[in-house]
Amino acid sequence: MVKEFIKAKGIKKTYDHVKAVDNLDITVNKGEIFGLIGPNGAGKSTAIECILGTKKKDSGSVDILNMDPINNRKRVFEEIGVQFQDSYYPDRIKVKEMCQLVASLYTKSIDWREMLSKFGLSDKSKQMISELSGGERQKLSVILALLHKPKIVFLDELTTGLDPSARRQMWNFLKSLNMQGLTIFLTSHYMDEVHYLCDRISIIDKGKIITTGTPDDVIKAVDEGSLEEAYLKLIAKKGEIQ
Amino acid sequence: MKSLWIMLKIEFKLAIREFSGILFGIILPAGIITLLGILFGDKLASGNDGYTMLQQSFAAVITIGICATGLMGIPITISSYREKKVLKRFKVTPTSPVLLLIAQFLSNFILAVISSVLVFVIAYLFFDYKMIGSLWIFIIIYLLVVLSIYSIGMLIASISNSVKTSNLLCSLVYFPMFFLSGATIPYEIMPKGLQKFADIMPLTQSIKILKGVSLGSEINGYLLQIIILLVTTIVCIILSIKFFRYEY
Repeated sequence: MVKEFIKAKGIKKTYDHVKAVDNLDITVNKGEIFGLIGPNGAGKSTAIECILGTKKKDSGSVDILNMDPINNRKRVFEEIGVQFQDSYYPDRIKVKEMCQLVASLYTKSIDWREMLSKFGLSDKSKQMISELSGGERQKLSVILALLHKPKIVFLDELTTGLDPSARRQMWNFLKSLNMQGLTIFLTSHYMDEVHYLCDRISIIDKGKIITTGTPDDVIKAVDEGSLEEAYLKLIAKKGEIQ
Repeated sequence: MKSLWIMLKIEFKLAIREFSGILFGIILPAGIITLLGILFGDKLASGNDGYTMLQQSFAAVITIGICATGLMGIPITISSYREKKVLKRFKVTPTSPVLLLIAQFLSNFILAVISSVLVFVIAYLFFDYKMIGSLWIFIIIYLLVVLSIYSIGMLIASISNSVKTSNLLCSLVYFPMFFLSGATIPYEIMPKGLQKFADIMPLTQSIKILKGVSLGSEINGYLLQIIILLVTTIVCIILSIKFFRYEY
């Protein structure tokens, strides 16, 4: 039986009369890699924040691991890891200090040294985070989101700014974590990545979900050759109607 | 508790690396008390009350560390944590970001105490400083001063909407207090008009009580000052809670 890890229903969020997210339904099943894709400003980050409860939704309901993330904040966040778009850190903090700091926030955590070596960052542990390259920083932000062995991880535009080989490395790593049972909710602008990683996707535009399904289903439905073409067609079509 | 301890250690390391807190909070007051000691030694203060210039200035120098940490360190760090979304990151963990704020206060408080102890030790060892009044009452008033100055710092952190504003507000509050309250230039030698202006500042009131208590005056004589500090603390705490946000 399929177990629903995230159930979001009818989420609405309006900023100054602009509907950032409009009647959003998202379901993510256990063990799945789910991708939320859409143009800049489509409402992806707002959707994630409404699901997590860091932004107050106007209406709708959210259920994560059968709990309400606002009322059961502590228990929910023991089980989920979050990597926000553009991670920032305190000034002059070292890699290992940030790892210690984040690990201390959870009741259980895995050895951060092990995680650093898995990502090839062992020799960077005494460096300032500000001295890391873009790719190393992104890797670190994933490590920090996974230090407490979460059941679900949210990754917002994880591979933006990575070079092709670093991106590939990240894909392999996420796939292997997923094989071990991690459920992943991601957003991305790279359709090759989405196609390679995601079991299911939803395309969002102007706050509304326009289609949901496996990447192959989405491609077939609009009769295109690749996910990128299908995506462009879907977004453009919607533009024409309005 | 474990996470508070780790946060405190890291916050402290970051403060040392940042260094301006150490420079303005510890090295500066240590330098000023040394300078005062060398310049005035055990010269008697004017007014013939039987105490030395050093005894008269001691309380004011003690407050420099409190101001550097409370009016610079706390507001600037907290608003940069907000701007850099560090607080937001904490919101998606089981631990409340309030813990980080507490660690921030404690680490600054420790710096302030180190500064004050150092000033005391320098004055005592090299310049024969002796506190005339009770050290215990002095410490209690010291804590009250820390509370009120830190609450002003917290209010600045809460109302400013960027690190830039926070920096500006800090300078607007810090420098007049620093120069006019008697922390650097003795209050006694200021013209009357300036004294009146200086009197509105909580730091001036703080230094008045600390000075009085260290020179052996009765604490009862400072009820008005104590009330001013308490009211400042309460009002600033209420307002900073009201205006506090985790992100811009």
